[in-house]
Amino acid sequence: MSIYLLAIESSCDDTSAAVIRDGEVLSNVTAGQEEHRAYGGVVPEVASRAHFQQIIPVVDLALERASVKKEQLSALAFTRGPGLLGSLLVGVTFAKAMALSLRIPLIEVHHLQAHVLAHFAEEPKPSFPFLCLTVSGGHTQMVLVRAPLDMEVLGQTLDDAAGEAFDKAGRMMGLPYPAGPEIDRLARQGTARFSFPEPKIRGLDFSFSGVKTAIRYFLRDETAKNPNFIEENLADIAASVQERIVSILLSKIKRAARETAISEIAIAGGVSANSGLRKALQREGEKRGWQVYIPRLEYCTDNAAMIGIAAYYKYLAGEFCGQDVSPEVRWAL
Amino acid sequence: MEIRIGSRDELPQLARQVLAFAERQNKKVLFFYGELGAGKTTLIQHLCRVLGSQDLVSSPTFSLINEYAYRDEKGREQIICHMDLYRLKSLAEALDIGLEEYLAAGHWCFVEWPQLIEPLLSDEEVLKVSIEEEGTSVRKIVLL
Repeated sequence: MSIYLLAIESSCDDTSAAVIRDGEVLSNVTAGQEEHRAYGGVVPEVASRAHFQQIIPVVDLALERASVKKEQLSALAFTRGPGLLGSLLVGVTFAKAMALSLRIPLIEVHHLQAHVLAHFAEEPKPSFPFLCLTVSGGHTQMVLVRAPLDMEVLGQTLDDAAGEAFDKAGRMMGLPYPAGPEIDRLARQGTARFSFPEPKIRGLDFSFSGVKTAIRYFLRDETAKNPNFIEENLADIAASVQERIVSILLSKIKRAARETAISEIAIAGGVSANSGLRKALQREGEKRGWQVYIPRLEYCTDNAAMIGIAAYYKYLAGEFCGQDVSPEVRWAL
Repeated sequence: MEIRIGSRDELPQLARQVLAFAERQNKKVLFFYGELGAGKTTLIQHLCRVLGSQDLVSSPTFSLINEYAYRDEKGREQIICHMDLYRLKSLAEALDIGLEEYLAAGHWCFVEWPQLIEPLLSDEEVLKVSIEEEGTSVRKIVLL
Protein backbone atom coordinates (compact mmCIF):
# COMPACT_ATOMS: atom_id res chain seq x y z
CA MET A 1 0.00 0.00 0.00
CA SER A 2 1.27 3.46 -0.86
CA ILE A 3 2.25 6.00 1.78
CA TYR A 4 0.56 9.36 1.27
CA LEU A 5 1.84 12.34 3.25
CA LEU A 6 0.51 15.88 3.47
CA ALA A 7 3.29 18.32 4.42
CA ILE A 8 2.97 21.90 5.67
CA GLU A 9 5.66 24.58 5.82
CA SER A 10 5.11 27.94 7.53
CA SER A 11 8.40 28.73 9.26
CA CYS A 12 8.92 32.21 7.88
CA ASP A 13 7.29 34.06 5.02
CA ASP A 14 5.66 31.47 2.77
CA THR A 15 2.67 29.22 3.37
CA SER A 16 3.18 25.97 1.51
CA ALA A 17 1.56 22.53 1.32
CA ALA A 18 2.60 19.43 -0.60
CA VAL A 19 1.40 15.88 -1.15
CA ILE A 20 3.99 13.12 -1.34
CA ARG A 21 3.34 9.50 -2.40
CA ASP A 22 6.09 7.01 -1.52
CA GLY A 23 8.69 9.75 -1.58
CA GLU A 24 7.50 11.24 -4.87
CA VAL A 25 6.15 14.79 -5.01
CA LEU A 26 2.59 14.84 -6.39
CA SER A 27 1.93 18.51 -5.68
CA ASN A 28 3.74 21.47 -4.14
CA VAL A 29 1.74 24.66 -3.66
CA THR A 30 3.28 27.83 -2.24
CA ALA A 31 1.13 30.88 -1.64
CA GLY A 32 1.88 34.39 -0.60
CA GLN A 33 4.77 35.20 -2.85
CA GLU A 34 2.68 37.27 -5.24
CA GLU A 35 1.24 39.15 -2.34
CA HIS A 36 4.70 39.90 -0.94
CA ARG A 37 5.90 41.18 -4.27
CA ALA A 38 2.97 43.57 -4.43
CA TYR A 39 4.11 44.99 -1.09
CA GLY A 40 7.70 45.41 -2.28
CA GLY A 41 9.25 42.57 -0.36
CA VAL A 42 8.50 40.09 2.36
CA VAL A 43 6.38 41.86 4.92
CA PRO A 44 6.06 39.90 8.14
CA GLU A 45 2.64 41.25 8.98
CA VAL A 46 1.37 40.19 5.60
CA ALA A 47 3.20 36.89 6.01
CA SER A 48 1.81 36.20 9.45
CA ARG A 49 -1.77 36.99 8.52
CA ALA A 50 -1.32 35.33 5.17
CA HIS A 51 -0.38 32.03 6.84
CA PHE A 52 -3.66 32.16 8.66
CA GLN A 53 -5.73 33.08 5.63
CA GLN A 54 -3.94 30.88 3.15
CA ILE A 55 -3.34 27.63 4.93
CA ILE A 56 -6.74 26.07 4.17
CA PRO A 57 -6.88 27.10 0.47
CA VAL A 58 -3.25 26.03 0.01
CA VAL A 59 -3.88 22.60 1.56
CA ASP A 60 -7.06 22.16 -0.50
CA LEU A 61 -5.20 23.03 -3.68
CA ALA A 62 -2.30 20.70 -2.88
CA LEU A 63 -4.73 17.78 -2.34
CA GLU A 64 -6.69 18.65 -5.47
CA ARG A 65 -3.60 18.92 -7.70
CA ALA A 66 -2.37 15.59 -6.37
CA SER A 67 -5.82 14.04 -6.89
CA VAL A 68 -5.63 12.73 -3.35
CA LYS A 69 -8.47 12.74 -0.82
CA LYS A 70 -7.65 13.62 2.75
CA GLU A 71 -9.00 10.23 3.86
CA GLN A 72 -6.16 8.58 1.90
CA LEU A 73 -3.43 10.32 3.93
CA SER A 74 -1.12 8.11 5.99
CA ALA A 75 0.39 10.90 8.12
CA LEU A 76 0.64 14.67 8.45
CA ALA A 77 4.01 16.42 8.40
CA PHE A 78 4.87 19.96 9.44
CA THR A 79 7.84 22.25 10.06
CA ARG A 80 8.42 22.38 13.82
CA GLY A 81 11.31 24.88 13.59
CA PRO A 82 13.51 26.78 13.55
CA GLY A 83 11.58 29.88 12.55
CA LEU A 84 9.40 32.71 13.68
CA LEU A 85 7.09 31.66 16.52
CA GLY A 86 3.91 33.25 15.14
CA SER A 87 4.42 31.75 11.70
CA LEU A 88 5.32 28.28 12.97
CA LEU A 89 2.30 28.22 15.28
CA VAL A 90 -0.13 28.44 12.37
CA GLY A 91 1.36 25.39 10.63
CA VAL A 92 1.87 23.34 13.80
CA THR A 93 -1.64 23.99 15.09
CA PHE A 94 -3.23 23.27 11.73
CA ALA A 95 -1.29 20.00 11.33
CA LYS A 96 -2.21 18.84 14.83
CA ALA A 97 -5.89 19.58 14.33
CA MET A 98 -6.06 17.91 10.93
CA ALA A 99 -4.15 14.82 12.11
CA LEU A 100 -6.44 14.54 15.12
CA SER A 101 -9.58 14.76 13.00
CA LEU A 102 -8.27 12.16 10.54
CA ARG A 103 -6.83 9.95 13.32
CA ILE A 104 -3.45 9.75 11.59
CA PRO A 105 0.05 10.23 13.05
CA LEU A 106 2.07 13.44 13.05
CA ILE A 107 5.64 13.89 11.83
CA GLU A 108 7.71 16.89 12.95
CA VAL A 109 10.37 18.12 10.54
CA HIS A 110 13.44 20.27 11.03
CA HIS A 111 13.42 23.02 8.43
CA LEU A 112 17.17 22.81 7.67
CA GLN A 113 17.16 19.03 7.44
CA ALA A 114 14.37 19.40 4.90
CA HIS A 115 16.39 21.91 2.81
CA VAL A 116 19.12 19.27 2.49
CA LEU A 117 16.64 16.50 1.66
CA ALA A 118 15.05 18.64 -1.08
CA HIS A 119 17.68 16.97 -3.25
CA PHE A 120 15.65 13.76 -3.07
CA ALA A 121 12.57 15.32 -4.64
CA GLU A 122 13.94 14.67 -8.13
CA GLU A 123 16.70 12.91 -10.07
CA PRO A 124 19.66 13.13 -10.03
CA LYS A 125 19.95 12.39 -6.32
CA PRO A 126 23.28 12.62 -4.49
CA SER A 127 24.74 9.43 -3.04
CA PHE A 128 25.74 9.17 0.60
CA PRO A 129 27.82 10.56 2.11
CA PHE A 130 27.58 14.00 0.52
CA LEU A 131 28.24 17.62 1.47
CA CYS A 132 25.46 20.16 1.33
CA LEU A 133 25.91 23.91 1.61
CA THR A 134 22.56 25.42 2.68
CA VAL A 135 22.52 29.12 1.81
CA SER A 136 19.53 31.42 2.27
CA GLY A 137 18.48 34.73 3.76
CA GLY A 138 18.48 33.30 7.25
CA HIS A 139 20.98 30.44 7.08
CA THR A 140 24.46 29.50 5.90
CA GLN A 141 25.51 25.98 6.89
CA MET A 142 27.91 23.32 5.67
CA VAL A 143 26.34 19.95 6.36
CA LEU A 144 27.84 16.47 6.13
CA VAL A 145 25.01 14.10 5.18
CA ARG A 146 25.71 10.44 6.00
CA ALA A 147 22.11 9.22 5.56
CA PRO A 148 18.71 10.91 5.21
CA LEU A 149 18.36 11.24 8.98
CA ASP A 150 22.04 11.42 9.90
CA MET A 151 23.52 14.88 9.37
CA GLU A 152 26.30 16.85 11.00
CA VAL A 153 26.83 20.61 10.76
CA LEU A 154 30.51 21.14 9.93
CA GLY A 155 30.36 24.92 9.87
CA GLN A 156 27.99 27.86 9.83
CA THR A 157 27.92 31.62 9.72
CA LEU A 158 29.18 33.51 12.73
CA ASP A 159 27.28 36.69 11.83
CA ASP A 160 25.28 37.42 8.67
CA ALA A 161 23.83 34.73 6.40
CA ALA A 162 24.96 34.75 2.75
CA GLY A 163 21.56 35.99 1.54
CA GLU A 164 21.74 38.76 4.09
CA ALA A 165 25.21 39.76 2.87
CA PHE A 166 23.77 40.18 -0.63
CA ASP A 167 20.85 42.17 0.71
CA LYS A 168 22.91 44.47 2.92
CA ALA A 169 25.39 45.18 0.12
CA GLY A 170 22.39 46.00 -2.07
CA ARG A 171 20.99 48.36 0.53
CA MET A 172 24.27 50.28 0.56
CA MET A 173 24.10 50.50 -3.23
CA GLY A 174 20.58 51.88 -3.03
CA LEU A 175 18.90 48.77 -4.44
CA PRO A 176 15.39 47.82 -3.31
CA TYR A 177 14.74 44.90 -0.94
CA PRO A 178 15.34 42.02 -1.51
CA ALA A 179 18.52 42.94 -3.32
CA GLY A 180 19.97 39.48 -4.03
CA PRO A 181 18.28 38.84 -7.39
CA GLU A 182 19.00 42.42 -8.51
CA ILE A 183 22.71 42.10 -7.70
CA ASP A 184 22.74 38.84 -9.67
CA ARG A 185 21.12 40.56 -12.67
CA LEU A 186 23.47 43.58 -12.53
CA ALA A 187 26.54 41.40 -11.98
CA ARG A 188 26.02 39.73 -15.36
CA GLN A 189 26.52 43.13 -17.03
CA GLY A 190 29.55 44.12 -14.99
CA THR A 191 33.18 43.24 -14.33
CA ALA A 192 34.44 42.31 -10.88
CA ARG A 193 37.20 44.91 -10.92
CA PHE A 194 36.90 46.08 -7.29
CA SER A 195 38.34 43.82 -4.68
CA PHE A 196 37.10 43.30 -1.13
CA PRO A 197 39.18 41.40 1.41
CA GLU A 198 38.48 37.72 1.99
CA PRO A 199 37.81 37.08 5.69
CA LYS A 200 40.20 34.76 7.48
CA ILE A 201 37.86 32.50 9.38
CA ARG A 202 39.24 29.24 10.68
CA GLY A 203 37.72 25.88 9.85
CA LEU A 204 34.42 25.64 8.03
CA ASP A 205 32.62 28.57 9.62
CA PHE A 206 31.64 31.62 7.60
CA SER A 207 31.67 35.34 8.25
CA PHE A 208 30.25 38.09 6.08
CA SER A 209 30.30 41.09 8.39
CA GLY A 210 33.89 42.06 7.51
CA VAL A 211 33.03 42.11 3.81
CA LYS A 212 29.96 44.19 4.56
CA THR A 213 32.08 46.75 6.40
CA ALA A 214 34.72 46.77 3.65
CA ILE A 215 32.08 47.44 1.01
CA ARG A 216 30.70 50.23 3.12
CA TYR A 217 34.03 52.02 3.55
CA PHE A 218 34.84 51.51 -0.11
CA LEU A 219 31.56 53.10 -1.21
CA ARG A 220 31.96 55.93 1.29
CA ASP A 221 35.48 56.78 0.17
CA GLU A 222 34.70 56.56 -3.55
CA THR A 223 31.50 58.61 -3.17
CA ALA A 224 33.53 61.30 -1.38
CA LYS A 225 35.71 61.59 -4.48
CA ASN A 226 32.86 61.25 -6.98
CA PRO A 227 29.26 61.68 -5.76
CA ASN A 228 27.96 59.67 -8.74
CA PHE A 229 30.36 56.77 -8.19
CA ILE A 230 27.66 54.24 -7.28
CA GLU A 231 25.33 55.03 -10.20
CA GLU A 232 28.19 55.15 -12.70
CA ASN A 233 29.67 51.82 -11.59
CA LEU A 234 26.60 49.94 -10.39
CA ALA A 235 27.12 46.81 -12.51
CA ASP A 236 30.82 46.54 -11.67
CA ILE A 237 30.15 47.00 -7.96
CA ALA A 238 27.46 44.30 -8.12
CA ALA A 239 29.82 41.94 -9.96
CA SER A 240 32.56 42.58 -7.39
CA VAL A 241 30.24 42.02 -4.42
CA GLN A 242 28.87 38.83 -5.94
CA GLU A 243 32.30 37.51 -6.78
CA ARG A 244 33.52 37.99 -3.22
CA ILE A 245 30.47 36.39 -1.55
CA VAL A 246 30.59 33.46 -3.98
CA SER A 247 34.33 33.02 -3.47
CA ILE A 248 33.86 32.84 0.31
CA LEU A 249 31.25 30.11 -0.14
CA LEU A 250 33.34 28.25 -2.67
CA SER A 251 36.54 28.29 -0.66
CA LYS A 252 34.70 26.64 2.25
CA ILE A 253 33.21 24.03 -0.07
CA LYS A 254 36.71 23.24 -1.36
CA ARG A 255 38.01 22.96 2.16
CA ALA A 256 35.13 20.72 3.27
CA ALA A 257 35.60 18.47 0.23
CA ARG A 258 39.31 18.19 0.94
CA GLU A 259 38.90 17.49 4.66
CA THR A 260 36.17 14.89 4.24
CA ALA A 261 37.43 13.45 0.93
CA ILE A 262 33.87 13.66 -0.37
CA SER A 263 33.21 14.64 -3.97
CA GLU A 264 29.40 14.59 -3.95
CA ILE A 265 28.62 18.30 -3.51
CA ALA A 266 25.15 19.82 -3.16
CA ILE A 267 23.78 23.28 -2.54
CA ALA A 268 20.36 24.15 -1.13
CA GLY A 269 18.38 27.19 0.01
CA GLY A 270 17.27 30.34 -1.79
CA VAL A 271 20.76 31.67 -2.56
CA SER A 272 21.38 28.54 -4.70
CA ALA A 273 19.40 30.47 -7.31
CA ASN A 274 22.33 32.88 -7.66
CA SER A 275 23.78 32.40 -11.14
CA GLY A 276 27.30 33.36 -10.04
CA LEU A 277 27.29 30.64 -7.37
CA ARG A 278 25.85 28.04 -9.77
CA LYS A 279 28.44 28.80 -12.45
CA ALA A 280 31.39 28.88 -10.05
CA LEU A 281 30.32 25.59 -8.47
CA GLN A 282 29.86 23.87 -11.85
CA ARG A 283 33.26 25.11 -13.00
CA GLU A 284 35.00 24.00 -9.82
CA GLY A 285 33.21 20.65 -10.02
CA GLU A 286 34.42 20.00 -13.53
CA LYS A 287 37.96 20.92 -12.53
CA ARG A 288 38.00 18.69 -9.47
CA GLY A 289 35.82 15.83 -10.62
CA TRP A 290 32.97 16.57 -8.21
CA GLN A 291 29.39 15.50 -8.79
CA VAL A 292 27.48 18.75 -8.30
CA TYR A 293 23.78 18.87 -7.34
CA ILE A 294 21.64 22.01 -7.56
CA PRO A 295 17.89 21.59 -7.07
CA ARG A 296 15.33 23.36 -9.20
CA LEU A 297 14.44 26.80 -7.81
CA GLU A 298 11.02 25.54 -6.68
CA TYR A 299 12.82 23.23 -4.24
CA CYS A 300 15.51 25.75 -3.22
CA THR A 301 13.28 28.38 -1.68
CA ASP A 302 11.08 27.48 1.31
CA ASN A 303 8.57 24.86 0.19
CA ALA A 304 6.49 22.04 1.65
CA ALA A 305 7.70 19.37 -0.79
CA MET A 306 11.03 19.22 1.02
CA ILE A 307 9.17 18.87 4.34
CA GLY A 308 7.26 15.96 2.81
CA ILE A 309 10.42 14.29 1.52
CA ALA A 310 12.06 14.56 4.94
CA ALA A 311 8.86 13.28 6.54
CA TYR A 312 8.83 10.26 4.21
CA TYR A 313 12.20 9.14 5.59
CA LYS A 314 10.97 9.71 9.13
CA TYR A 315 7.82 7.71 8.35
CA LEU A 316 9.94 4.79 7.15
CA ALA A 317 12.03 5.07 10.32
CA GLY A 318 8.88 5.18 12.47
CA GLU A 319 9.69 8.64 13.85
CA PHE A 320 6.35 10.16 14.81
CA CYS A 321 5.47 12.80 17.40
CA GLY A 322 2.57 13.31 19.77
CA GLN A 323 -0.22 15.88 19.96
CA ASP A 324 1.71 17.68 22.72
CA VAL A 325 4.30 18.97 20.23
CA SER A 326 4.90 22.74 20.03
CA PRO A 327 7.04 24.95 17.77
CA GLU A 328 10.79 25.02 18.37
CA VAL A 329 11.99 28.53 17.58
CA ARG A 330 15.67 27.76 18.26
CA TRP A 331 16.51 24.29 17.06
CA ALA A 332 20.00 23.18 16.16
CA LEU A 333 20.32 20.61 13.37
CA MET B 1 27.65 58.11 29.37
CA GLU B 2 30.21 58.06 26.58
CA ILE B 3 32.80 55.37 25.94
CA ARG B 4 35.41 55.30 23.19
CA ILE B 5 37.06 52.12 22.00
CA GLY B 6 39.95 51.86 19.56
CA SER B 7 39.92 48.17 18.72
CA ARG B 8 37.85 44.99 18.85
CA ASP B 9 39.93 43.78 21.80
CA GLU B 10 38.11 46.29 23.98
CA LEU B 11 34.69 44.80 23.17
CA PRO B 12 34.45 42.39 26.16
CA GLN B 13 35.23 45.25 28.54
CA LEU B 14 32.74 47.52 26.76
CA ALA B 15 30.06 44.81 26.97
CA ARG B 16 30.58 44.52 30.74
CA GLN B 17 30.29 48.31 31.11
CA VAL B 18 27.09 48.45 29.06
CA LEU B 19 25.44 45.66 31.07
CA ALA B 20 26.53 47.18 34.39
CA PHE B 21 25.10 50.54 33.31
CA ALA B 22 21.81 48.91 32.31
CA GLU B 23 21.58 46.96 35.56
CA ARG B 24 22.18 50.08 37.65
CA GLN B 25 19.21 51.67 35.90
CA ASN B 26 17.15 48.49 36.16
CA LYS B 27 16.69 48.28 32.40
CA LYS B 28 16.65 45.09 30.36
CA VAL B 29 15.54 46.43 27.00
CA LEU B 30 18.37 47.93 24.94
CA PHE B 31 17.88 49.73 21.64
CA PHE B 32 20.88 49.87 19.32
CA TYR B 33 21.50 52.71 16.88
CA GLY B 34 24.21 52.93 14.25
CA GLU B 35 24.66 52.58 10.54
CA LEU B 36 24.96 49.32 8.62
CA GLY B 37 28.36 47.91 9.56
CA ALA B 38 28.82 50.09 12.67
CA GLY B 39 29.05 46.99 14.86
CA LYS B 40 25.61 46.57 16.46
CA THR B 41 25.49 42.79 16.02
CA THR B 42 29.13 42.46 17.09
CA LEU B 43 28.49 44.32 20.34
CA ILE B 44 25.39 42.19 20.98
CA GLN B 45 27.51 39.04 20.49
CA HIS B 46 29.75 40.25 23.29
CA LEU B 47 26.82 41.17 25.55
CA CYS B 48 25.49 37.62 25.17
CA ARG B 49 28.90 36.15 26.02
CA VAL B 50 29.17 38.29 29.14
CA LEU B 51 25.68 37.14 30.19
CA GLY B 52 26.97 33.57 29.82
CA SER B 53 25.23 32.38 26.67
CA GLN B 54 27.16 29.87 24.58
CA ASP B 55 24.67 30.08 21.70
CA LEU B 56 25.71 31.29 18.28
CA VAL B 57 24.66 34.93 18.00
CA SER B 58 23.91 35.83 14.39
CA SER B 59 22.07 38.59 12.62
CA PRO B 60 18.26 38.27 12.79
CA THR B 61 17.52 40.45 9.76
CA PHE B 62 15.54 37.68 8.07
CA SER B 63 14.40 35.74 11.12
CA LEU B 64 13.40 39.02 12.92
CA ILE B 65 13.79 37.51 16.39
CA ASN B 66 16.54 35.18 17.62
CA GLU B 67 16.48 33.68 21.08
CA TYR B 68 19.57 32.61 22.99
CA ALA B 69 19.76 30.73 26.28
CA TYR B 70 21.91 31.33 29.35
CA ARG B 71 21.85 30.45 33.03
CA ASP B 72 21.45 33.18 35.59
CA GLU B 73 23.43 33.31 38.86
CA LYS B 74 20.88 30.94 40.45
CA GLY B 75 21.36 28.42 37.65
CA ARG B 76 17.94 28.97 36.07
CA GLU B 77 17.68 28.97 32.31
CA GLN B 78 16.84 32.40 30.90
CA ILE B 79 16.51 33.69 27.40
CA ILE B 80 17.90 36.68 25.57
CA CYS B 81 15.88 38.14 22.67
CA HIS B 82 17.82 39.59 19.77
CA MET B 83 15.69 41.48 17.27
CA ASP B 84 16.33 43.27 14.02
CA LEU B 85 13.36 45.31 12.86
CA TYR B 86 14.88 46.65 9.66
CA ARG B 87 12.43 44.90 7.37
CA LEU B 88 9.30 45.84 9.31
CA LYS B 89 7.26 48.63 7.79
CA SER B 90 4.87 49.65 10.55
CA LEU B 91 4.25 49.44 14.28
CA ALA B 92 1.23 47.24 13.54
CA GLU B 93 3.53 44.65 11.98
CA ALA B 94 5.73 44.68 15.05
CA LEU B 95 2.72 44.01 17.26
CA ASP B 96 1.53 41.29 14.89
CA ILE B 97 4.69 39.21 15.35
CA GLY B 98 4.24 39.35 19.12
CA LEU B 99 6.99 41.81 19.82
CA GLU B 100 5.23 43.43 22.76
CA GLU B 101 5.06 40.12 24.61
CA TYR B 102 8.80 39.69 24.19
CA LEU B 103 9.51 43.21 25.49
CA ALA B 104 7.24 42.78 28.49
CA ALA B 105 8.47 39.30 29.47
CA GLY B 106 11.42 40.58 31.50
CA HIS B 107 14.06 39.00 29.26
CA TRP B 108 17.13 40.85 28.12
CA CYS B 109 16.02 42.30 24.76
CA PHE B 110 18.60 43.66 22.35
CA VAL B 111 16.91 45.47 19.47
CA GLU B 112 18.59 46.62 16.26
CA TRP B 113 16.80 49.18 14.05
CA PRO B 114 14.28 49.94 16.83
CA GLN B 115 12.95 53.26 15.46
CA LEU B 116 9.55 51.80 14.63
CA ILE B 117 8.83 50.59 18.16
CA GLU B 118 10.10 53.62 20.06
CA PRO B 119 6.50 54.67 20.88
CA LEU B 120 5.93 51.39 22.74
CA LEU B 121 8.31 52.14 25.59
CA SER B 122 9.12 55.17 27.69
CA ASP B 123 12.66 56.46 28.23
CA GLU B 124 12.60 54.98 31.73
CA GLU B 125 12.20 51.50 30.29
CA VAL B 126 14.87 51.54 27.59
CA LEU B 127 18.61 52.01 27.45
CA LYS B 128 19.57 53.54 24.13
CA VAL B 129 22.98 52.52 22.85
CA SER B 130 24.26 54.44 19.89
CA ILE B 131 27.41 53.46 18.05
CA GLU B 132 29.13 56.21 16.12
CA GLU B 133 32.17 55.77 13.94
CA GLU B 134 35.16 58.02 14.35
CA GLY B 135 37.56 56.76 11.72
CA THR B 136 37.82 53.16 10.61
CA SER B 137 38.45 51.41 13.92
CA VAL B 138 37.43 53.95 16.57
CA ARG B 139 33.87 53.78 17.88
CA LYS B 140 32.12 56.20 20.21
CA ILE B 141 29.42 54.49 22.24
CA VAL B 142 26.80 56.71 23.82
CA LEU B 143 24.47 55.34 26.49
CA LEU B 144 21.27 57.26 27.11
